[in-house]
Order: sequence, then structure tokens, then C-alpha cells
Amino acid sequence: MAYIEFKNVVKRFGDFTALDHVSLEIPKGAFVTLLGPSGCGKTTLMRQLAGFSEPEEGDVLVDGKRMNGLPPFKRNTPLVFQEYALFPHMTVYENISYGLKLVKEPKEEIGRRVSEMLEMFNLMGLEKRFPREMSGGQQQRVAFARALVMGQEILLLDEPLSNLDAKLRVDVRTELRQIQRKLGITAIYVTHDQDEALSMSDIIAVMRQGRIEQIGTPWEIYFRPANRFVADFVGTVNFLDAKVLTASAHVLTVDHCGMELRVPTEIPASAGEEITLVVRPECIHLAAEGETLPEGAVLNGTIENYSFLGRMIRYWVRVGEETFVIDDANVDLSGARSGDVKLCLDAHKLHILKDGGAHADC
Amino acid sequence: MAAGTSVRESLKEMKRLKNEPLLLLAIIVIILFVGFFVVYPVIKVILFPGVEDYMQLFHKARWFKAVKNSLFMTLISTISCTAVAFLFAYVIARLDVPCKKLFRFVTLLPIVSPPFIVALSYILLFGVQGIVTKQLLGLQVDIYGRLGLWIVQTVTFFPYAYSVIYGVIRSISTNLEYAAYNMGATRWQVFRDVFWPLCRPGVAGGALVAAINVLTDFGNPQMIGGDLALLPTEAYMQISGWYDMKTASVLAVALLIPAVVLFLVQRFWVGRRSYVTITGKEISLNPFPVPKWVKWTLFSLTMFISLFILLVYGTLCYGAFTKAWGYDWTLTMENIQYVFQKGHQIWNSIRYAFCASLGAAFLAMVLAYIVQKKQVGVNKLLDFLGILPGAIPGMFLGIGFVMAFNTPPLELTGTSIIMILALLFWNIPTCYSSATAGLQQIGASVEDAALNLGANSFRSFKDVIIPLLKAPFMSSFVLSFLRSVTCLSVVIFLYAPATTVGTVSVMVLVQSGQWGEAAAFTLVLITIAFTVLKLAQWILGKQGIELEL
Repeated sequence: MAYIEFKNVVKRFGDFTALDHVSLEIPKGAFVTLLGPSGCGKTTLMRQLAGFSEPEEGDVLVDGKRMNGLPPFKRNTPLVFQEYALFPHMTVYENISYGLKLVKEPKEEIGRRVSEMLEMFNLMGLEKRFPREMSGGQQQRVAFARALVMGQEILLLDEPLSNLDAKLRVDVRTELRQIQRKLGITAIYVTHDQDEALSMSDIIAVMRQGRIEQIGTPWEIYFRPANRFVADFVGTVNFLDAKVLTASAHVLTVDHCGMELRVPTEIPASAGEEITLVVRPECIHLAAEGETLPEGAVLNGTIENYSFLGRMIRYWVRVGEETFVIDDANVDLSGARSGDVKLCLDAHKLHILKDGGAHADC
Repeated sequence: MAAGTSVRESLKEMKRLKNEPLLLLAIIVIILFVGFFVVYPVIKVILFPGVEDYMQLFHKARWFKAVKNSLFMTLISTISCTAVAFLFAYVIARLDVPCKKLFRFVTLLPIVSPPFIVALSYILLFGVQGIVTKQLLGLQVDIYGRLGLWIVQTVTFFPYAYSVIYGVIRSISTNLEYAAYNMGATRWQVFRDVFWPLCRPGVAGGALVAAINVLTDFGNPQMIGGDLALLPTEAYMQISGWYDMKTASVLAVALLIPAVVLFLVQRFWVGRRSYVTITGKEISLNPFPVPKWVKWTLFSLTMFISLFILLVYGTLCYGAFTKAWGYDWTLTMENIQYVFQKGHQIWNSIRYAFCASLGAAFLAMVLAYIVQKKQVGVNKLLDFLGILPGAIPGMFLGIGFVMAFNTPPLELTGTSIIMILALLFWNIPTCYSSATAGLQQIGASVEDAALNLGANSFRSFKDVIIPLLKAPFMSSFVLSFLRSVTCLSVVIFLYAPATTVGTVSVMVLVQSGQWGEAAAFTLVLITIAFTVLKLAQWILGKQGIELEL
């Protein structure tokens, strides 16, 4: 059963529709990511739950109770802000304990719970510091502590890692996921970073222009994108337009510029139909000299350019009418390859989009 | 279409106000207050004279001349103010020279001084009984008139232009100049093609600030203008000498028009032409050194002006302790004692300045808070009300108050209340921009964070917003206090014997030739202003807050 539920939520700012009939169900204890480019409405959707703005239409439910119209201070939906929003005139201790003071917890209880948080976020000894006297990473941990100290069931996170440097970001996201699991909190996480979304989430909702384009697990989003936008936004991708030659129960035979491919799929299609194949760069490898080629999974191409990245080489390969991006993890000491090559596809990881990829059923 | 939508949005926002009665009340009170104490007096003055009264401006040679003189003085003083201000700003911001502390101090002095101090000192130095003219050179020269006024106004008002220009020069990244050198530009080309175009909006802004001050200057022309007919002094003469409110109103309106034009240009034209972007992350290199002879020429010029300003203040101190300027140079405490006999006037100065500043800072704070943080549908109107009094010359507001509040229902003439109210509304724009700047520093989501943690609107205002507003409140209060204690033009029409303030006494003393007493009075006023400034800086400094002026 859904713990948090958005039902046909519509939010307008003047003539601009920020949320266009958005529906989303979030089970208890899940880590759900709202992923999308800036301006897609992901933060706006979260703000409807926190109560910072009210939807024009639709309902926001938590545990079956309608939240619409409830002021933010009665919603119990602690939020970690992108720029942390720590109170600059309060110390670390005062920042973390502020919420507890508002609900008039006894002093000893406040002390106990704050030190619990200080320990969890490795902030011991910094209680008396002001936000301006701390590093970005420390401020960030105070922001987490301040939100979690209330012991609520829900945690909202609005791009909380975007102001950290790359390495710290990777560390924090693992730590954050562990804490969320341990406490059993239902978390909603807003980000435009696909790596964060894929690595942390139970469920990802990909948004564009005020609509949800796809809801699914990280695996589904990555390997079975609902359309071109999702495929393109999450990870690097190659699209291959092809025509269906024959369609049997579980296998399609398709053609691109005279090259035939056999694609195992559950998606029904009929002969003569135009489809788009979604191919991830790491699902292709360049055939070595004398390698036995798998039948119905080979394309002919010409290497146009390459870029050496250490652990792999990224090739740009001309295939028929398309240029493919291929990540070759099999780096040879002798250098990059060139000229004509055979591309071997991992047929099971291919995905089919119909109608030019605009909208496809999964 | 767009206008229709925005009107619809505004109406929607206004409807929401029904749920926040306190906010609604605050908005109504502010609109009524500003309407009644600023807009109403202004309209009263404008409508008081008839068309034929206004035609006098063109028919009567003396009034026409006053208009011409006022505009001419504004033009030449503004040019010289801007040049000196640019010199100071450039030397302080870009050159590696000694004595920068002294230069900075010199630019701060006029802000804590009454506007006529330079004129007074100038008389003491070069007047009929002047220490330079009579004592050292034995000359008899007439220093009253155009040239004297020009020098005095330049020295008095360049610091206002300086602070604008300095701010802009400071924020121009030296990297841009290095980029130009890197592409092969010579020193002069870099200055002409990169530095100067980037400074230009700042220079224009500074010039306009100086121009507004020069145009509406009353104290200096009154003391040193001599026979030179200028709009502010002529209007004053009409009221104090002839009780001719009609003519005074005509002259005041003639002053209001260019003041409003300058104000609008500054606000809407220059304001939009700033190229300066503050990224905060950029690291600038040290400025590229200029040739030695240029550096030391500029330094000498700056030093010369600085020493002249120090001489002005030194002369004032000397004058305050001298028995009879020009005749008897023995040192004495009599002048200071005289000031303490008239202590009531000093007390009035402090009292009125304190009350007016408290009121102005509070009102401006509430107004700025609503405009910045609340969407109430009338934000643009409220913002306009906050800056509006800035377009009105101080003496115009004074005349307006006399005309608007000398009859029931609100008969305030001669009371302390009218002095306080006039100073209060005169200071609103200063406090408002200071409060706005302070509020913009507060992150947008800090208040949301408090709501999110369970604080209701009242608690979040009390626990988060109020403590964060302390610094901007203090700085607008101090700024307003300094302006009020040293203000002459607003109160000159409003004082009664019992409500005389220090600045008015100085003017009267100067006119009757009591230089020593006048100097002593001025010295006491400056001391008070400076003490308050230092005290506030010290108190805020202890809390890690820098007071900005």
C-alpha cells in the first residue's frame, strides 16, 4: 500500500504549468528519487508535500490522510535544503535542537537526542560552532542531523549533495543510504544527477516539463527506458532506427541499412514496422581478430574518433546512418584501434522503442 | 495578455491576505502613513500656487535667475565632485600608495558632519576676519558667491559620489585588465577600452548622487552664497522674511522638478547599466602597476585635497576655542560653555534624531520585509513608497509639512512631533535601502526551514527573522541618526523657539557673525555623531557584524 501518494497534482505559476496531473505512489520505507533536468517540476512536487506551496488540483496523501491545506509546520516532513538553510545566528547545537524545542521536549531528552545525532554524523566537539565557521561538508551533515533529529517517518532531500565536491559526494551518498535503511525512513530525493539516482534509489521517477515520464527501479529505467527522453537523460545511449522484417513470439528480426539483427523481446511488433533500438555503450564490444561472431548480433562500422580514458577507450563508430558511442573496457597496451570493425551486440540488453520512441509501453 | 495575467495573480495574492490579518494591517498602515505624511504634503505644495503664480518664474527676473543659477551650480559642482571622487576611489582601490587610511578617513568625515561645516570653516579661513586672508595676507576679499560656493560644495559632497564609484571600481576584476594586456593592449588602451567602460555606470551613478545633493543643498548657499540667488535660499527667504507661502511654493516646485528627474534617472537608467557581476569565487590578481610619475601625481593631488579637508576641520576646532575670531586669538572655553548653556538645543537634536531614526528604521524594516519576503500583490507599489521620499528635497518636505499640518485635524506646527515626523519620513529611503540590502543577505529558504521544523509563522519570524534583522536594523538606525543630527534643510521651516535644534542655532549664529559659538556648536554635533557611529560599530563588531554606511 502506498504510504505517500500524489494524486493528479496540478500546480500552475501564472501561465506556466509546473506540475501537469502528476500521480506517484511511494511505499513505506522506500528511497524514491525524482530525477529530471532543471525546471522539470521535481522540486515543485516535493514542495507540495512539505506544504511550501499548494496544488491547484489533486491531492497529496500521507498514510491515507489528505495533507492539502495543512500549513508546513504541521506536516512533519523534515526537508534537507539544497543550500542547507542553517540558521546563521544559531550554533550547531541550537540548529539541531530547534525543532525539538518547538515541541517542548524536556531538556534532558533534547540533549540525549542531539548527541545521538552528533555521533551519527560525526559532529562531536562542533556543537558550539556557528555555520559560517564550518566547511561545506560539515554544514551539510548538520542539515541532515537537524532534519533527522525529529524522528519523523519521512525525509525530504532537495539536491542536498550538489554543493559538495565530487569525491565527498560519492562518500555521502553511500552513508546517507545506509542511515535511511537503518532508520527505516521513507525518503524522497530530488536530483538531476543520474549517478546519484541510479546508485541510491529503490524507485526512480523521471520527470520532464511537469510530467512523470517513467516510474521504475534503477534497472528498469536504465535498461528498459520508456522513451527516447528517459533513455537519453539517464546514461549515454545509442539509438538505432530499424525496420522489422519478421516477428515471431519472442524474437524480432530487424534491418538497419542491410544489416540484420535478431532481438529477443517481449514487446509485440509486426513485420514492416519502424522501431528504435536502444543500445548502451557498454553493451557492445569490438570483435577481436579471428573471434567467432555471434549470429544476428553484429554490425559493421568504421572508427571515426576515440578518447583514451585510462580504464577504457571510448570510440565513436560510424554504423550505417548513425554514429555509435562504444566503451571498450578491454584496453590494449598497443593503443587504440582504427579502421573498419565488427560490433558485437549483447542482444539481451537491447531495448525496443516503438513509434519513433515518443511513447512506448513497457 | 501578460498584463492581464499579472493583474490576476496580484488579485489572487491579495485575496490570500485575508488569512493574515496582521500582514494586511501592516500594509494598510504603511500605505496610509506614507500617503498622509509624504504624498499629501507634496500635493499640497504643488497645488497651493495658481497658474499665474507659476508664471512668475518666467516673468520675474530674480526667480528665473535663481533657476538658472541653481542648475548651473549643480552642473559645475557635480563635475568637480565626480572628478575628485573618481580620483579618491582610484587611488584608494588601485594604487599602492601610503596614507590610504587617512584618505578613507577624509571621505568619512563629511558623512558625520552637518552639511554647512565646510562653508563655516571657509569663512573662518578666507572671510573678512579670515585667518589666511586678514591675518596672513592682510587682504580684503569678498569670498561670498559663486567661486566660494563651488569649492565648498565640491569638498562637502564628493564623498557621496566617492562611495558609489569606489564600490564599482572595487568590484571590477583586475583579471579583465590582465586579459587585455595579455592580448597586447598598452596601458592607455586598457584604461580606455576596459577599465573606463566598466567604471562608467558607477561614475554616472556617483555623479547623480552628488548632483541631487548639490541641487538641494541649503546650508552652504545660505552661509556663503552671498547675493547669488538660488532656489533653496530664495524659497527660505520668502517664508522667513515675507511669509509669502505662494512664491515659496513656486520656487520649491521649481526645485522639485529637476530633483525628481535626477532621482528617476539615477534609479531607472543607471541602475540597469551595471556590468558588475559578483561571483564571489573569482580571485583577482594585484592591480597592474602604473608608471611612477602617474602614481605620485595622483597621490599628491589626493593628499592636497585631504590636507585641505583636515585644515577645514582643524580650523573649526581652533575656532571653537578662540575668543573672538579675527580680533582676539586667545584660547578660551567660553564658546563650549555657551553650547552647554544652550544644551537644550543639543538635547533636542539628539532626542528628535533618536525618535525619528527609531521610527524610520522600524517602518522601513517592516516595509522591506514585506516587499522582499511576502507576495502580497502590491509589492511594486510598496517598493515605490519606500523609495519615493528620496526624490523629494529636504526643504520641500519641510515646506510641505508646514502647509499640511498647520490646521486641524492635525495641527502640529511648532511641536516636537512635527520635527520628528519630518525627519522620520525624510529618512525612510535611506533606511529602506539599507534594510533591503540586509534582507537580501538572508537565504530564501531559512524561513522555510523553520516552518519545516514545526515553527508557525509567528515563531519563525521571532526565532529566525528578527535576530537576523538586527544588523540591518542597526545600520539603518545609525545612518538615519547621523543624517538627522546633522540635518538643516528639513527642520529649518518647522522649528519653534522651544524646538530649536543644534544645526538651526549654527545657522543663526553664523548670520550674526558669532563664529566662535557657531564653531563650538558644530564641533559638539560632530562629536555626538562620531561617538554614536563608533559606539554602534563597536557593539556590532563584538557580534561579528560589520556596520556598513
